[in-house]
Amino acid sequence: MSTTIRSAELEITRAFEAPRELVFKAYSEAERLAQWWGPAGLMWVKSELDFRPGGYFHYCMKTPDGREMWGRFDYIEIAEPDRIVFTNAFSDASGSVVRAPFAPDWPLEVMNVVTFSADSEKTTTITLRAWPHNGSEAEHKAFGHMQPSLQQGFAGTFDQLANYLAKLS
Amino acid sequence: MSDRLSTTFAALSDPTRRSILARLALGETSVTDLAKPFPISLPAVSKHLRVLERAGLVAQSRNAQWRPCRLEAAPLKEAAGWLELYKGFWDESFDRLDDYLQRVQNGDAK
Repeated sequence: MSTTIRSAELEITRAFEAPRELVFKAYSEAERLAQWWGPAGLMWVKSELDFRPGGYFHYCMKTPDGREMWGRFDYIEIAEPDRIVFTNAFSDASGSVVRAPFAPDWPLEVMNVVTFSADSEKTTTITLRAWPHNGSEAEHKAFGHMQPSLQQGFAGTFDQLANYLAKLS
Repeated sequence: MSDRLSTTFAALSDPTRRSILARLALGETSVTDLAKPFPISLPAVSKHLRVLERAGLVAQSRNAQWRPCRLEAAPLKEAAGWLELYKGFWDESFDRLDDYLQRVQNGDAK
């Protein structure tokens, strides 16, 4: 029980053997996202990406039984190459947000905060924080509450960047 | 539009409310006893309790005179289930990202 209520969000940290610029690119270009993002076993059909704050990623994937599954990301904040903040949701072909096809209780939208930190020239750590999100007033408040911790995270990243630059020179 | 999971997560986003739930995980208790460890007023604790009640995380007994509060586990289970599923999805995607980054650096992919 205590593990469940200690935190109200999901946090995943993963280190990759690649420079930060490349890892960031894998998140910010449609043809690269198609190489790795998404549920296992689904085939990419097409996508449209407008990578800027206020922009979106609208994609279509095909299930093994041939059904089309649409989804979208909405970018809230992009700080290259440190951080991307976006919501993701299931959608229809026109881009309208819809309920998850597999579960009526799945959250309509999920807020994702992805932080990229360069551990060395060739290694990058991604930290993903995510939680269910909706278009209500409460959510905007929650995002406001999050800002101080985001800035703290940002400062931490600058420390790491400074370390990184010191190593380079 | 609001859904149950979003309501649960919004209720869980506050550290005082998480402490209240942690206390109630040990057993039911009165509002007065619940408020004791917190450096905030009784009305402030009651306000947090109302948020938890609306989210279905806490119930207050109407029968007993001291109206004890108790933890309702169902929404927490749902939240834990969502966390597990979403984590699984990203773990899989990150495995593929790892492969992709290796291939791209070996010149096998663009």
